[in-house]
Amino acid sequence: MSEFVRKEICEGVAFNSITDNRFKTGRISATLVVPLDRKTVAANALLACVLTRSCKKYPDFTTLSRKLDSLYGASLYPSVRRTGDFQALTISVTGIDDKYALDDVSISAELTDLLCSIIFEPNITDGRFVDDEIEQERRQLIENIDAEFNDKRTYAINRCIEIMCRDELFSIGRFGSREDVVALKNEDIYNAWINLLDNARIELTMLGNSDPKNAFEGFKKYFADKPRRQNASTQIVTDVGEVKRIIETEDVAQSKLVMGFRCAYPKTAEETVANALMSAIIGGIPTSKLFTNVREKMSLCYYCASRVDSQKGIMLIDSGVETGNIDKAEKAILEQLEITAHGNITDEEINSAKLALKNSYISLLDNFASMQNFYLNGILRGITFTPQQAAEMVDGITKEQIISLARQIKPDTVFSLIGNE
Amino acid sequence: MNFTEIENKRLGDKYYRLHHDSGLNIIVYPKKDFHSVYATIATKFGSINSQFVHNGKKVHVPDGTAHYLEHKLFESEDGDAFSKYAKTGASANAYTSFDVTAYLFACTDKFEESLGILIDLIQSPYFTPETVAKEQGIIGQEIKMYEDDPDWRVMMNLLQSMYKNHTINIDIAGTVDTIAQITPETLYECYNSYYNLNNMVMCIAGNVTPEQVLEIADKKLKKAENCDTQSIFPDEPYEVVRNYTEQILPVAVPMFEIGFKENAPKTCATTKEIICTNILLTAFAAESSALYRKLVDEKLINSTFGSEYLEGNGYRAAIFSGESRNPKKAAEIILDAVKGLHKNGISQEDFEIAKRAVYGKLISGFDSPSSIASGIINAEFSGREIFESVDVFSEITLDDVNNRLKDELDPENYSLSVVKSMDE
Repeated sequence: MSEFVRKEICEGVAFNSITDNRFKTGRISATLVVPLDRKTVAANALLACVLTRSCKKYPDFTTLSRKLDSLYGASLYPSVRRTGDFQALTISVTGIDDKYALDDVSISAELTDLLCSIIFEPNITDGRFVDDEIEQERRQLIENIDAEFNDKRTYAINRCIEIMCRDELFSIGRFGSREDVVALKNEDIYNAWINLLDNARIELTMLGNSDPKNAFEGFKKYFADKPRRQNASTQIVTDVGEVKRIIETEDVAQSKLVMGFRCAYPKTAEETVANALMSAIIGGIPTSKLFTNVREKMSLCYYCASRVDSQKGIMLIDSGVETGNIDKAEKAILEQLEITAHGNITDEEINSAKLALKNSYISLLDNFASMQNFYLNGILRGITFTPQQAAEMVDGITKEQIISLARQIKPDTVFSLIGNE
Repeated sequence: MNFTEIENKRLGDKYYRLHHDSGLNIIVYPKKDFHSVYATIATKFGSINSQFVHNGKKVHVPDGTAHYLEHKLFESEDGDAFSKYAKTGASANAYTSFDVTAYLFACTDKFEESLGILIDLIQSPYFTPETVAKEQGIIGQEIKMYEDDPDWRVMMNLLQSMYKNHTINIDIAGTVDTIAQITPETLYECYNSYYNLNNMVMCIAGNVTPEQVLEIADKKLKKAENCDTQSIFPDEPYEVVRNYTEQILPVAVPMFEIGFKENAPKTCATTKEIICTNILLTAFAAESSALYRKLVDEKLINSTFGSEYLEGNGYRAAIFSGESRNPKKAAEIILDAVKGLHKNGISQEDFEIAKRAVYGKLISGFDSPSSIASGIINAEFSGREIFESVDVFSEITLDDVNNRLKDELDPENYSLSVVKSMDE
C-alpha cells in the first residue's frame, strides 16, 4: 500500500506511481519543467491552458467537458507554478475509481487515453492552434494575472518576492507578465509545445487503485527515444545588502506587511526537514513565536505566519495589521527572529513543533495531491524521500541545528501595502 | 451503550452512531488504512442565531457573537487549548458559519489525548472581562481582512440584497462596533443556550474505531440536562430587497454573484431536493452547458465561474458567481437562459450527463476524512443522512429535476451583486 515506485523512461523523463486501494479516486499527471525564461514563460503558461481546452478527439471545450462529465465528473486541469528558478506546468486528470462507476466504463483507461491525447494530439492544423481558442484562453489568462491583485494577501506576497529577487530569474511570475501574454502569437504557442515535448524535464505520476502499466506504456511509446538534459539550476543568494523597502498605498481597510528573508537552501532531505522545523517554531503553528507573541500577547493581528520555500532558499513572514501598527509589528517580528537566533528556544517549543511537523508529514499520506507535491518538490531538487522518512528525521533534529539555521536568516526586503487612513 | 452500524454497499463504507448518555450524538466513520483522524464537535449555532428564547427569556445578541465565542472558547481557566494540543501534535482549528460552530483537530498520533482536549474545550468556558477584551484587536483585524476580501464582500452584499429580515444578511464576524458590545455575560448566555450536548454532534472520521471514541467519551463527557433554546427567525418576504447592488473595491477584474431567492420553509431541504438541484445547476451552468459556452464566447466569464445552492432554516437560493469585465451583461444572459430553462426544461441527454457528473463529485467527497466529517455534521443538523445522497441517484428522474424549476430560479426574483474598482 502507498509504495512509491519510480521508473526512468529515458534521461529526463520519469514515471512515478503509487498504487493504493484506499481511495475512491485516482489521479494521473504530467509535469513539464523548464528553466524560467522571460522569452518563453508566458507562451508555456498559455499553452497549458490551450491544451486542456480541446484536442483532436474532442475539438472544443464543450465536447471535452461533456466527455469529462460523462466520465462521472472527471476533472482535467492545468496548473502552472514556479519552483525554484523553474516553471512547472502540470496537467492532471482525476476521476472516481472504476469500481464506483454505475456502468462498466473503465474510467482510468479513458482518462489515461485522454491525458495522452491532450498532450500529444492537440487541436493543431498545419502547425497552428485554433485562433479562437488562443484568444479565449489568452483573455482568461490575462484576467487570471489581473485577479492576483484582488486578493491582497497574495498580491503583497508576490510583490515582496518580485522586489526581493528582482535580479534573479525567480522574479519572473509563473504566467509571465500581462504584456508578454498580450504579445503572444499563434506560432509562439506551437513552438512552446514542440519545445516542451522535446526539452522539458518530464515527471509523470499516477496515483490510485488502477494498474499503472497502461499509462506507463502509453507515455513510454512517446518518450522512449527522446532523452533530454537540463543543466540549469536555481540561483541561491546568501549575501544581502541594505534591506530593500517598498511601500505601496491602496484603498484597503487592513494594511499588509510582508518581510522577505534569505535562508538556508537545503541540499539533503534532512536539511529540508530541519528548515521546515525551524519555520514551524518561528511562525508555522499556533504555539510558534510569532503567533503567541505578535498575535496572542500583543493582539496586533489575526495572522502572522512564516513559511520557508526550500526550492529557493527564502523565507517569508507576513501579517495583516492596522497601518499605525506596521512598525510595531515589524519590530516584534525581528525581535522574535533574534531571540530564536540567540538560541532562546525552549524544549517545549521544539517538541510541539516536532509533533506538529510529523503530523503534517504523515497526514500527506491520506491525500493524493499532497503526496504528489511532496514527492515532486524533492525530486526536482534531486532528492527522493518519503513522508514517513521525513517524519522520522524530525526527531533527530537538534536544537543546535535549528539555531544554526535561524542564524542564516537574513532580512532582504520589506514590502508594505498601506491603506488610506 | 451500543453503536448502530450504517452501511453503504456501493461505497463499501460504514459508520457508527450512538446517542451518548451525556446527550451528545456521536458518529464514528472509520477509514481503513488511513493515517489521520479528523475529529469535530459542532453546535447548531452560527451567525444567523442572533435572536433566541432560552428558558422562556428572549435574548438578542450583538452581530458576530457566535464567532467571538468560538475564539474565546479556546481559553479555559487552566490555559488555552492550542498549548494543550501542542503536546499531542494535533493540528487544531475551529470555524463559525451561518448556522454552525465547529471545533476540530486532525492528528496522526496521540488521538485519545487530543480527543480529551477537544471534549474539555467545549465543556469548560472561561470568559473574563480581560480575556474578552484581548480578542477585540485580533478579531478586529480578522474583520478588516474580510472587508478587503472581494469574494466575501460580493457574497455578503448579495445576501443583504436578497434578504430583508432573515439574519443570513448579517456578516458572520460582525463589525468592529458590534463586537465591542460583547461581554463575558453575552458569551455565557450563548454558551448556556447552545453549547448543550443535546444540541451538539461529535463526528470522527479516519484511522479510528468506535470503541476508542467511546472510551474517551465515557470518561470525559458530563451529562447535560435538556435545555430549551428556540432560535427566532423573523418572517421573510418572498421578494428580494433589490435587484442590484455594487461596491467599489480595488480589484483588477470585477466580481459578481447573481442569486435567485426561493420560498424557504423553516426546515432544511431534503437530500433528494439538494441532489436534484445540483443536477439542475450542473446541466444548466457547468462547463459542459450551453450557457457556459455562450458566456465564454461573449468573453463574459472565466474559469472562476460556478454555481452553488445555499440553503438552511428560512433561506434558499441558487447562486451563480464569477469574474467578469461586464457583470451586468453576464447577468442578462444568465437571466435569459433562466427564462429559456423554464420554457423548455432540461433535456434528457443533459440530464444523464449532469447526473453522472454530480454522482462522481459526490463519491470523490468520501475520500477525505475532513469532508466526510463536515458532511455528516451538516447532514445531522439538517435532518439528512449522508449515505442517502449516494442511493437517491437510482430513483431520480428527469421529471424530478425539471419539477424543481417550479420552486427555483424565478427570473423575477433575483439580485445581482457586483464588486468593481473605481474606474471600471
